[in-house]
Amino acid sequence: MDVSANLEAQKSKYPSINVEKPIPLQFDLGLLAAFDTNAVDEAELKKDENTYLKKCTRDNTQLLINQLFKLPVDSSQNVGLLIELPDPVTAIPREKPLPKSKPLTRWEKFAKAKGIQHRRKDRKIFDEASGEWVSRWGYKGVNDDGANDWLIPVPDNSDPYEDQFAKMREAKRERILKNEKRHRRNVEEAQTTLQPSNNKSDARTARKLELQQQIVTSKTATASYGRFDKPLDGDSKMKGKKGKFEPNVGDVKKEKETSINILNNIVGKKVEALNVRKAIARR
Amino acid sequence: IYITSSTSPSKPKNARSKRALQKREPKVKENVKTALFIRGTSTTEIVNEALSDLCRLKKPDSITFNKKNEIRPFEDDTTLEFLCQKNDASLFVIGSNSKKRPNNLVFARMFDGQVLDMIEVGIEWAVPMSQFKTPKCTIGMKPLFIFTGSLFETSQPHKVFKNMLLDFFQGKVLKSFDLTGIEYVISVTAIGSPLPDESNVNPSRVDGKIFFRVYTINMKKSGERTPRVELEEMGPHYNFFIRRTKFAKDEVYKQATRIPKSLKPKKEKNIDVNEMGDVVGRIHVGKQDLSKLQTRKMKGLKREAREDDSDDEKPTKKLKN
Repeated sequence: MDVSANLEAQKSKYPSINVEKPIPLQFDLGLLAAFDTNAVDEAELKKDENTYLKKCTRDNTQLLINQLFKLPVDSSQNVGLLIELPDPVTAIPREKPLPKSKPLTRWEKFAKAKGIQHRRKDRKIFDEASGEWVSRWGYKGVNDDGANDWLIPVPDNSDPYEDQFAKMREAKRERILKNEKRHRRNVEEAQTTLQPSNNKSDARTARKLELQQQIVTSKTATASYGRFDKPLDGDSKMKGKKGKFEPNVGDVKKEKETSINILNNIVGKKVEALNVRKAIARR
Repeated sequence: IYITSSTSPSKPKNARSKRALQKREPKVKENVKTALFIRGTSTTEIVNEALSDLCRLKKPDSITFNKKNEIRPFEDDTTLEFLCQKNDASLFVIGSNSKKRPNNLVFARMFDGQVLDMIEVGIEWAVPMSQFKTPKCTIGMKPLFIFTGSLFETSQPHKVFKNMLLDFFQGKVLKSFDLTGIEYVISVTAIGSPLPDESNVNPSRVDGKIFFRVYTINMKKSGERTPRVELEEMGPHYNFFIRRTKFAKDEVYKQATRIPKSLKPKKEKNIDVNEMGDVVGRIHVGKQDLSKLQTRKMKGLKREAREDDSDDEKPTKKLKN
């Protein structure tokens, strides 16, 4: 049964969707754009600008829509007519540069090495006891580390007069402090990797030196000013600097030179510029 | 932290402000660019209407400033940079009017807080959206684009202008698109002839016009699956001509158009489909070092195991050491 004649008759009832153009259009379907390089009929344009432009645009839009309707349809959703757009061809500049990758934290490095995957947990969990969906964390959350427990059974090996509630609160506080300490350490380590430097200005070595200096200072806080104290196991005795006194009678020129140097260091009339960093550190 | 100027907010004090800051951070897949429509020192009604109409096309990702600002984009970048950082906007349209440049619009783009490129157009003829008594498109829909004229391929100012208009009005970048959401089309036609290079300041200045038209699309029956397209002018309607331009430096543009490795298409190696249609894989086994081959553990190579042995020695059982 030949239905082509019927089809043709049907098609001719409606206006055509075909458009003829000397130079075919270029399409960037990712941006829903069409680029027409055909020559614009300037005579017609001058005669009736708006009609000509509308006609031209209608033809080009028809061609673009023809192309769009040829794209593969995604029929997973029941809404509308979803098509899968290809990637855009025209390079459009970004507004911000690409993000710099952050250095991995200790846990992230460990997880990567072990191959531990991060699994997102849902906010609500089904609580068997109450038979309702409750929050896993946050406001009215179930996971509150026993903070709102009205009853805590006393463990067998503990002091019966011990305050278990206070103990629980104290343990929670310690956990928080530990977490904060770890977070600070991660931030510090990230900073050092971002500005790798071998000199003493990075946070960890600076802190280390600072602590060593504080230890030295604290050692003088005894009656004998730290001189006759017995050193502890593993701790070395402080070695003081031996002062050397120049002899009273000596080279006059040398003495003059040293005196002038001292004066210049204080007053400032010297060849070497003032080391501002040292001056501030000394303050 | 991405922002380091003195106008940047200090460390966030609560989760809400932290989220707001995170939204403004550079990301692999970026947010839709926000456009800022500003008025210059003096404007005309045409310019004001043009700004509000273009703002309407760009909604909801647009901000309009109604007060006049002393802003000279071609002389001083600092105002634009400040506004970009404060409003998290990387697209600008600055409308102004002066005796030398009447009915002026400057389209500007930013990258990394600095001006990337700018195109200044003069409005020769304008009809605002309000004058077309036709139904308008819904706010936030993606438009179709039609660029007519070979100038958009050959002339540098036109190429940049095309890129800018695409950037301005494309909306959200989508992987899948609903065909019933095709509502309007932005049609830009360029005629003219490029002038020879006169100075280094404005390379290839063009003499000519750019026709900016916006139409709503009505899809009619065509007897086939693909509909017949009929247009109705929605407005706004402009005839532009390009004045000054400022193009992006090559290195900066290259950096701005970089595609991150994660978004580049991944090449599947060692997997082919043969003529029969079977999926075939290749395994590359490295070269074997034959000198390190343990022949002592291969029973088949032992003297006793060999049946076609030439010598007639009685096979003796070797003692294990």
